[in-house]
Amino acid sequence: MDELEGQPDQLISFDVVVDGERHATVSIDGELDMSGVDPLAARVEEVLGNGVTSLTVDVRGVRFADSSAIALWVRWASAVDEFELREPPPLLLRVIGAMGLAEKLGATS
Amino acid sequence: MYWLPAITLIIGLIVTGTLALVSHSQYVANEKRVLKLRARDADALVAGALPSVQTPLASAAELADVTGGNVAKFKRFAAAYAGTAGSGHQYVSLSLWRVGSLGSGPVAVQGAAPVLAAQPGTATSFLAAAARSPQLSVIGLLRVPQPRLGYAYANPGASGGYVVYAESPLPASRRSRLQGSSAFAGLDYALYLGHRQVPQKLLLTNVNRFPLPSPSDAETVPFGNNALTLAVSSRAPLTGTLPRDLPWIILVLGVLLSAAAAALTLRLTQRRQAAEALAGRLEVIASENERLYAEQRDIAQTLQHALLPDSLPTVPGVETSALYHAGERGVEVGGDWYDVIALDAHRLLLVVGDVSGRGLRAATTMASLRYAIRAYAAQSDDPAEILTKISRLVDVAESGQLATVLCAIIDTESRQLSVTSAGHLPPLLLSDHGGEFVDSDVGLPIGVEADTEYRSTTVTIAPESTVLAFTDGLVETRGESLDEGLERLRAAATRHDVGLPELLGTLVSELVNGRSEDDIAIVGVRWTS
Repeated sequence: MDELEGQPDQLISFDVVVDGERHATVSIDGELDMSGVDPLAARVEEVLGNGVTSLTVDVRGVRFADSSAIALWVRWASAVDEFELREPPPLLLRVIGAMGLAEKLGATS
Repeated sequence: MYWLPAITLIIGLIVTGTLALVSHSQYVANEKRVLKLRARDADALVAGALPSVQTPLASAAELADVTGGNVAKFKRFAAAYAGTAGSGHQYVSLSLWRVGSLGSGPVAVQGAAPVLAAQPGTATSFLAAAARSPQLSVIGLLRVPQPRLGYAYANPGASGGYVVYAESPLPASRRSRLQGSSAFAGLDYALYLGHRQVPQKLLLTNVNRFPLPSPSDAETVPFGNNALTLAVSSRAPLTGTLPRDLPWIILVLGVLLSAAAAALTLRLTQRRQAAEALAGRLEVIASENERLYAEQRDIAQTLQHALLPDSLPTVPGVETSALYHAGERGVEVGGDWYDVIALDAHRLLLVVGDVSGRGLRAATTMASLRYAIRAYAAQSDDPAEILTKISRLVDVAESGQLATVLCAIIDTESRQLSVTSAGHLPPLLLSDHGGEFVDSDVGLPIGVEADTEYRSTTVTIAPESTVLAFTDGLVETRGESLDEGLERLRAAATRHDVGLPELLGTLVSELVNGRSEDDIAIVGVRWTS
């Protein structure tokens, strides 16, 4: 698990596991904004480059995501055949809904 | 920089010197005092020999007086006291003189001939004086080949009778060790006859050079009608070697300690100066950073304002106002924008958008979208069509960017509001009935898919309404539901009954309340009649 500490009150951690022939699961915890997305983006980019076509993003532990983070998920969703945003917390789901992205990100309550 | 160590060194040396001097003078005073005591002891010992010198002479004089100068009796008596040198007798010569005829020499002699007799003038005057003196008379016969000390005694009250005269030898060189007496242990000495230390009167010494080395002391004690002066000097410190060496020990240690203290002070001074210099440099760096931050923030805000409209168009019957608030991370330009375009004499196109991310990339995308919308608005007055066209301009797969955009056409005459949203938050409608968000259809944000179809939602507005469109920075707070933020905005907007520009300012300051790190764009249109 890679841990990145930006501002003192800000901690995100993520885990990327290729757990099928062409499937990977990305688990994210904490607050995700533009100051912390780059390492996560690079890691997933690498996995996608290795032929993963199905992605599950587990965001149960995400307390906050800004538009940069959501843009990143949209980018992943566009890059794979199957995409699922697993169990977004209500606050996150509300933001995704307000942006008209619930269907695109496979996130329904 | 060097004055403190220098003062430390100087003070250390002064203290050291003072201590060494005090210690030395103490040592010298003690030596003198002890030497004086030793000199008195030794002198008293020498003078103590007087009775043993005087007693045989007194007895012989008595005998002569009683026997009327019987030579045989005198010689028998004198034989016990006088003999040739080395025979173990007290004197080398013991002689009897008649006071009345001193000039004719001794009446009787036992042992060697008296040296004094060779100097008749001296003999006569010395012995005549001795006959009158109640004390033992002493004379030094020192400038002769065999120097001797002469003693003369006549019994008091036997005037005109006899004087007994004795001589004891002195070593020719005057060099002798007074042995068997601890009083002279460790001392150099010179014994003089008389009150003064003159070479002619030197009786005994154990040294070759005069005067005696300092510190020295001289004590004079009476010896018969004469006196003995003993000068002494110590060969080694009498009070011990430590008091003698103490001043030097103090001096060496003091100098070393002073030097060490000065070196330590110098080191501490240098360290403090280094620390001060470092603190100064850090201060310079900090203020430089602050200046650079302020400069960067200025650049960002200048750029931001350059990318936003200079002024808003005026359309009869409505008032427009807009506000841009840079968030706490204001060193970078943001991707939020607003625009108001006059489509014709009574219609306005209201635009609010937000490009994800920050910095120059977000700002350039924002600028291109803003100008693209202005360009497309000139071709078509359907906001859905405009958004579909600009959906081709951004691709998240390429740039990683998304943009949420709200387009609203306001017809000031028919009071129709037509809202089209590309993933953007709905506008707030304020009227006499309160505030409500326009429940419009929300399409995909710009950048998700090219040629996205959008649907517009049209509502009719009550007279004297206000439309507010804004970006998420106004209502989004970490850890809080979006609905709570929207509700807070609605409540605040309906509570304040002020002019439009004041309303925008109040809403931003009230809702941000020091917590916003995000940028905020807000634009409002209010019917004036």
